[in-house]
Amino acid sequence: MEAQRPTYEDLLKKIEYLQYDLEEAKDTIEAIRTGQVDALIVENSNGHEIYTLKTADQTYRLFIEKMTEGAVTLNKEGFILYSNSQFALMMGLELSNVIGMDFNSFIGLKSRDHFRELFNAGWKEDRKGEVELNNEANTCIQLSLTTLALDEGEFLSVIITDLTRLKENERELAHQNRELEKTNIALEMSNNDLMQFASVASHDLQEPLRKIMVFMDLFSKTTSDDMSEQARGYLEKIQSSSERMKQLIIDILNYSRLSAKDNVYHEVDLSQLIHEVVQDYEVVIQEKNATIYYEGLPCIVVNKGQIRQVFQNIISNALKFSKPDVPVELTVSATHTNSLSFTAPEEKTGEYCKITIKDNGIGFDEKYVPNVFSLFERLNAKDKFEGSGIGMSIAKKIVEKHNGIITAYSNEGDGAEFVIILPVKQ
Amino acid sequence: MRRMKILLAEDDVDDRFIFENFLGGRSDIELLPYAENGLEVLSFLDAVPSQDTLPDMIIMDHNMPKMSGRQALEQLKQTERYAHIPVFIYSTYADTQLIETCTASGATMVVTKPLNNKGYQDLLDSFLKVLQPESGHSKRG
Repeated sequence: MEAQRPTYEDLLKKIEYLQYDLEEAKDTIEAIRTGQVDALIVENSNGHEIYTLKTADQTYRLFIEKMTEGAVTLNKEGFILYSNSQFALMMGLELSNVIGMDFNSFIGLKSRDHFRELFNAGWKEDRKGEVELNNEANTCIQLSLTTLALDEGEFLSVIITDLTRLKENERELAHQNRELEKTNIALEMSNNDLMQFASVASHDLQEPLRKIMVFMDLFSKTTSDDMSEQARGYLEKIQSSSERMKQLIIDILNYSRLSAKDNVYHEVDLSQLIHEVVQDYEVVIQEKNATIYYEGLPCIVVNKGQIRQVFQNIISNALKFSKPDVPVELTVSATHTNSLSFTAPEEKTGEYCKITIKDNGIGFDEKYVPNVFSLFERLNAKDKFEGSGIGMSIAKKIVEKHNGIITAYSNEGDGAEFVIILPVKQ
Repeated sequence: MRRMKILLAEDDVDDRFIFENFLGGRSDIELLPYAENGLEVLSFLDAVPSQDTLPDMIIMDHNMPKMSGRQALEQLKQTERYAHIPVFIYSTYADTQLIETCTASGATMVVTKPLNNKGYQDLLDSFLKVLQPESGHSKRG
């Protein structure tokens, strides 16, 4: 098929186009001739290729072309005279669409005032500043501005550093710092618990040990005359072991600054939990002819092991401080309320759970309520009721760790009632 | 020489036995009927008719039910009739905090309970020495 002949109009257009090309080529040649340009970037099938005159700074041009930062040269009006391909890449543009443009147009709208300031100041001294690019990602960049004194006059060289990764790292670091802070608080709390434990250990382990040592002393004095060599040897062994145990206790106190984190909260069925505690105390419950009522208790989010400890301590107290010859009756019941208060009215959908544990034991004078919950306080003589006097202070500590409150009501001889209020969810 | 009248406040039956066993035989002291806690110390003293027959010193365990040694100490020092009686606090474990608070409340000495006969004899000697630094005391262990 024969090609269509171009019309007169087509030819005129073509001439006009070629003339434009020629003008441009002439300008380029003039520019090269006068030394204004010493490199050309030409687009062909291989992408952009740089054609340089073999001047001394060719190495630097290559260097600039290959580096990961963007680099541009601006004239007094802020137009781009030179750009490396990295900057075009940052903008997602062809290099040809970058060169000759106003650099300001590549700066994000919010950053333009700041850029203007940097640009003006950059002519007098080296400046650095952070701005956003006017691209899709609003890439955060750092601009480093330096003046270049060339034969043709002064220009501004701008290095553009992508700060995206740096910003991400900063965010990650800030996040990690916050996490670290949380961990620190948790550690501080567990440290406080340990300090209390250390205190408990120092009192409660040393007390029986001290008695062993004192009675050993008494024993050896009373039987010293008729004691066999062998018996004396055994006694010395007991004495040295006691000394060693005393030392161990002191060592444990010094060592007690480490602990595992225990902040696991799950939804727990309180009826099931108390059922487990009741099973643990089966023997004592039979012995004391005790009945424990705990039907229909709700599920709440707690640290199971810790809350179990709370009920263990309260239930074992109830079994311990029972009236002689009276079958123990213990009732655990629960309602919901809307606030963290012992006097708040019942509210079925309330976000707090109010748990009441009531017994029919010997009770105590209500003025001793604060003593019940403080460490090592005992309301009864040690020889009448065994126990360390720390159970209820541990219970209080655990309830408080659950953001709850605990109190007790009682009259001497008239049973005791412990009331715990816990958030349904942590 | 006059025997020093000592009032012991101790809730632990073993510790009372130990105290009496080691110190009861000494000729320089007279052990008054013991008190089981701080409240009993106060009611014992209230029942003493004459100022002359008040104890010469009070030795109190710290950790006692109803009213601790430290609480009783505060009460005693705030009561004009008893404020002059030297009070010694002894505990299984006398830590810095206990020593500081009790000393601030007016305790003459705060000490850890001894582990044997010699410890008890030395402890009482040191108590007596604090009260009468110029005179010596005979003792029977």
